[in-house]
Amino acid sequence: MADQLFSRRDFMRVLVTAAAAYPISGLAELRSKETSLAVYKKSSVINKEPWLTIAEVQAHLFPTEKNSPGAKDIHALEYLQTMILSPDIEPAERKLIHDGVGWLNDLSKQQYSKTFVNLTADEKEKILRQVEGSNAGSRWLSLLLTYLIEALLSDPVYAGNPKGIGWKWLNHQPGFPRPDKNKKYFKLGKPRYRTIKG
Amino acid sequence: MSQDYDVCIIGSGAGGGPVALELAKAGKSVLILEKGPWLTEKDYFKDELACCVRSAYTPQLKDEKHVIEEQYQDGSWQGESTEDSGWDFWNGNVVGGSSNLMSGFFYRLKEKDFRLLSEFGKIEGANIADWPISYHDLEPYYAKAETEVGISGRVQQHQYFEPRSTKDFPYPPTIEHPIVNRIDKACEQLGFTSLKTPRAILPKADMGRNGCQYSGFCGSYGCSTGAKGSARAALLNRAVATGNCKIVANAKVVKLESNHQGNVIAVKYFDENKSKQSVSAKTYVVACQAIETSRLLLSSTGAKHPKGLGNNHNQLGRNLLFSAGGSGTGEMTYSKFDKMSAEQLKIRGPFVNRGLQDWYFIDDKKMGGKAKGGTIDFLLRHPNAISKAMSLKWDDNNKLVWGKELKRQLKSTFNTSQDLRFEVFNDWLPTDNCFVSLDEKVKDKWGSPVAKIRIGYHEHDLKVGEYLSQKALKVLKKMGADNIRYSVSGSPPANLVAGGCRFGNDIKTSVLDKNCKVHDVDNLYVTDGSFMPTGGSVPYTWTIYANSFRVADIIKQRI
Repeated sequence: MADQLFSRRDFMRVLVTAAAAYPISGLAELRSKETSLAVYKKSSVINKEPWLTIAEVQAHLFPTEKNSPGAKDIHALEYLQTMILSPDIEPAERKLIHDGVGWLNDLSKQQYSKTFVNLTADEKEKILRQVEGSNAGSRWLSLLLTYLIEALLSDPVYAGNPKGIGWKWLNHQPGFPRPDKNKKYFKLGKPRYRTIKG
Repeated sequence: MSQDYDVCIIGSGAGGGPVALELAKAGKSVLILEKGPWLTEKDYFKDELACCVRSAYTPQLKDEKHVIEEQYQDGSWQGESTEDSGWDFWNGNVVGGSSNLMSGFFYRLKEKDFRLLSEFGKIEGANIADWPISYHDLEPYYAKAETEVGISGRVQQHQYFEPRSTKDFPYPPTIEHPIVNRIDKACEQLGFTSLKTPRAILPKADMGRNGCQYSGFCGSYGCSTGAKGSARAALLNRAVATGNCKIVANAKVVKLESNHQGNVIAVKYFDENKSKQSVSAKTYVVACQAIETSRLLLSSTGAKHPKGLGNNHNQLGRNLLFSAGGSGTGEMTYSKFDKMSAEQLKIRGPFVNRGLQDWYFIDDKKMGGKAKGGTIDFLLRHPNAISKAMSLKWDDNNKLVWGKELKRQLKSTFNTSQDLRFEVFNDWLPTDNCFVSLDEKVKDKWGSPVAKIRIGYHEHDLKVGEYLSQKALKVLKKMGADNIRYSVSGSPPANLVAGGCRFGNDIKTSVLDKNCKVHDVDNLYVTDGSFMPTGGSVPYTWTIYANSFRVADIIKQRI
């Protein structure tokens, strides 16, 4: 469990004064451990963790405004769930997304005696900026932002960007033909064996 | 002993396609082994996740990788696996290869490109060599590729115009973006000769393929209409239709077996079920794209070839080429133009078929007199939305950007300007610091040593790249572009690669003879870009197609 503790400690490092830099780089240290898909499958309902916290973080990172869509409008959570369940996601990423929620709530409880979803907007901003100060925290937030941007601008066939809401907001004209629901990218590379009689 | 096929081709891209078509048409039995899946027009969509974000058309780096050797400040060369660095060196592992994903900027080489050493002399630290054939040997095949692949354009005379055996292109140019009028005007004012870039794209339906639908998403994407002249759409479909060509997809070749005479007797490969297979042919053709071709031959040791097929003189993998040069961008800010002009700039779909070759050969004191220059191509910034948005994720201080600030920046980036880019192509001089070898430790998922690529460049390449970039910048400035920036570097573009098995008349300094047959193997040819001793100052694909048609004629006469 040393690897996991390392990341957790790194994430929480903002609490430790003058902490030494922990030798963590990339996702390599997470590769050895996978978070079971079952964890996600069981909890793929919005009112359960980790989704409750993730939805709240997404809403903060990409807020709904009067004339522009936010995380909920672009189906950011549905998109992230789709990707986490897709066959070719890096297991380390799956684990990082999951673990980050636990770390964030631990930190939140330590500082405010509340879980993240119960914080005020200012407290959320403050704690997320704090989290960003650690390597693991920065990676976690960066990953969530990546999936948010993908949810905003990828084809609606992948569960985000419903009816092209993100494209419309940014006046982006997509290419055509648009992907078929049976031809999502992770289905294309599957080995196929076609020969024509020679 | 009878063989299973007349010809076995390994790799189905621009190097393999012409040989397959020509020999199948001549009634020979042809087998193509392709590592990737067989995707068709029905599988290619304008799906940014598929092409570009998740790279669905290339292997996952955890399964297959390269080791890239870079030079460190202390002078040492150190390798890093691309699985760790994320620096992807794959280009389209699918039937038709990376020609499926090209933008199709098509240029011929020029007569002097075939004799660079004789024309411009030695450059210290570079292994420049003349080709063993001339432009005139290849010209009929450039012409053949125009009709067989389907190249559109319009001939324009200019000072470095290359001789042609046919009057004009078989297809008129594709529809052009209104921004070309601004490019032409700026060039005219500067005294530059703005040229229409030929494209391997059909402007109208022909040869069983549809014409271009101008979706605006071309490079990096597979073509959904068949208009793009990939080896698959243009050549392999027709090869298969003869009834003489069989394509086995998902077939990973690991070794060519050779006998005591040193000739190839079988190809060993893993099929899609990971079962080991063996197949034999009278003639073998390797066309896996430069890096993988060198790797396969290095891996194919035998009694007469203890260091790899064709490597008895230690030439295999050496003198690898990329394309040198750089690129730049200028922003055409909508608010600076009247409404109609701004709307025209926003148009998505038609092509910017414009390039400059005024400095393909340079005679300038700044460059020390006569020197080899290169080509400048203009294009719009790729319309990919996710990658554009992703560039806003980090600010200049490496802090993450989120919330209303991120949204404000997104809105601005997508709605302020049309960005015009240029790309500079100049010779990547062959040197002793750019080559392919086998890594001693890192293996792919089949247990084969991966290619280790040393990516050293020659300083001269940067000088030429800088010279040409300065010319391109003048055009952007004249057009009134804002926020103009550019970069010239020695970082190799992984999609523009050649060399490693240079052809020549001397076995001691080359791997292939002038027919692209391995010198000391009777039945083995290489038909991808590996044969090139020098690369010219244009993208390689047309030359690879043309040379493969040439070699196809040679093989046809032999078997």
